[in-house]
Amino acid sequence: MKSTHQRLTATALGICLGLGAAGSAQAANWLMLQGTEKADNAPRAKVWGFIQPEYQQDFSDAHPTDTYIPPKLIGPGLDDQSAFNIRRARIGVRGTGFPLDGKVNYFLLAEFGNNAITNGGRYGDYTPALTDASVTLNYIPGARIRAGLFKTPGAEEALQGIIALPYINYTSVTNQLLLERFPDDGDSNIPPQTTPSADMNGFSQSAGAYRDTGIQIFDSFDTGKWEHSYAAMLGNGNGVQILDDDSNKDVYLYWSSAYLFDGKAGGPWRSTMKLFGWYQDGKRTNAYDKNQEQDRTRYGIGAFYLKRPFRVSAEYIKGEGMIFQGQHTPQAMFNDFKAEGGYVEGAYFVPNTPFELQLRYDTYNRNVDQPNKATFDTWTAGVQYHINKKTRATLNYAFRDFSSDAAGPNSHLEGVGDRVSVQLTAVF
Amino acid sequence: MKQAHAARKALRNALLAPVLLAALAIGGTVQANDPADPVDQVLKEKPFADARVVLQISDPDPFKQTLVLNVAQNLLKFYGPDRVDIEVVAFGPGLRLLFADNAQAGRIATLADQGVRFSACKNTITNMGKKLGREPALNPTARIVPAGIVRLIKLNQAGYFVAKP
Repeated sequence: MKSTHQRLTATALGICLGLGAAGSAQAANWLMLQGTEKADNAPRAKVWGFIQPEYQQDFSDAHPTDTYIPPKLIGPGLDDQSAFNIRRARIGVRGTGFPLDGKVNYFLLAEFGNNAITNGGRYGDYTPALTDASVTLNYIPGARIRAGLFKTPGAEEALQGIIALPYINYTSVTNQLLLERFPDDGDSNIPPQTTPSADMNGFSQSAGAYRDTGIQIFDSFDTGKWEHSYAAMLGNGNGVQILDDDSNKDVYLYWSSAYLFDGKAGGPWRSTMKLFGWYQDGKRTNAYDKNQEQDRTRYGIGAFYLKRPFRVSAEYIKGEGMIFQGQHTPQAMFNDFKAEGGYVEGAYFVPNTPFELQLRYDTYNRNVDQPNKATFDTWTAGVQYHINKKTRATLNYAFRDFSSDAAGPNSHLEGVGDRVSVQLTAVF
Repeated sequence: MKQAHAARKALRNALLAPVLLAALAIGGTVQANDPADPVDQVLKEKPFADARVVLQISDPDPFKQTLVLNVAQNLLKFYGPDRVDIEVVAFGPGLRLLFADNAQAGRIATLADQGVRFSACKNTITNMGKKLGREPALNPTARIVPAGIVRLIKLNQAGYFVAKP
């Protein structure tokens, strides 16, 4: 039985060899792109956002009892195996409120799409939500201060902007280990259901959306062609809920070192090779037993290398405590289990055409220390058609191989099949 | 006793140093920029120029900052640095282009190295100083003119083509 490390390494080598030897790279510094404005070169208020209509079709088989579990259904409603949806519809404003002093920046963004942030599932309602509301002070060299609600420093797949997110669905490790769900004491577990009204989303509160409310100190330093960035953040540990639900605070640490092939060229598409590591730690108060507090720790490392016509990236992530057990089992969240996973992906931008060909392998081992250990392996093949710089069409086909060491869960997971997704992204 | 005093002093300095550094960073060190040369003098700097152009930047739109610098760069590319005389005059909200920390400072330095002059309006500096509580620190390449609009008029009267990209 190969370990997660071995499988990821072998796949990385395979993808790299398949793509050939790449030259220079492109990767963005999301800490700076999302947290700051260009000095004395930002508008008072820039309105911006993006819309992502999509269609997904799942080809999983029903359990012999003719019931389904969440991986076989289309989120966030988890009602049926096919659905049109507006995955994201966000609008916001950012800039420098008093242009004569460009050292103060702000960032405001709200979500109107139908996803784990806004969809309250079986026990809630559709509720648009604020996803970002932050102010950045750039007065102290080497120690910029960002306060408010914003993306926490962490894994690349979670931290990167939607403008650059290459695949429609997140990897299993990012979706299950990093996209935190917050159970409410009114949320109950839901047994496998029949379609077309399965309604298996058991979380009434917004998913964390890789965000938190708190304060962050961060900056980037250029040393020749190298750019080193750091971030240290203290937050509520309560996602986009804004208010804290207990007295515990989460700690986030992040470091990245990037080689800039084009010197100081900025933006999401700059030529870069980046290495990074991060760590998050906090506690959660059990929604069903306020006397219980559960540790939640996440950490990971990764690399991002992109140079047209090639891109290769990989991450390895581990988690301890608060291991997500499925969208239908909110009451199972408060555990001390362990999990690990990662992904390797690559892309080839076909020269002189708008086409980008993609291939991703991701693996996730849930409850690695438990008898009900589950493994989620997925190969995703994709093609993107870049209509223009801000508009793209994406087609993904995911080959999924899920299993569990426990017979009961395995009888459901072994029926998980392929999934096709088509999405249009328009950034404005 | 002496050692204890020295230790306290070292601790005090260690605590004060970051505060002082932060204060310096926040306050900034404003270095006065020299006044711009009179028009009749700048005319002599490039006697063989085929074109003399003054670019006006008075717009708050950050894209205009990029546009003005692009135009200057394109003029240099077309005529060559020795055959074109370019002055960028910034006033009103457009003065932000010449703020010391502007993200375009690198491009401004490159253009200045090729002979492009950058003039900053003193009236705007004074007015911004009233709003900010201090005069803004300017790019070291910027030269001060009493009034941006007057500078444009004088350059125009001297034969410069005035463009507002």
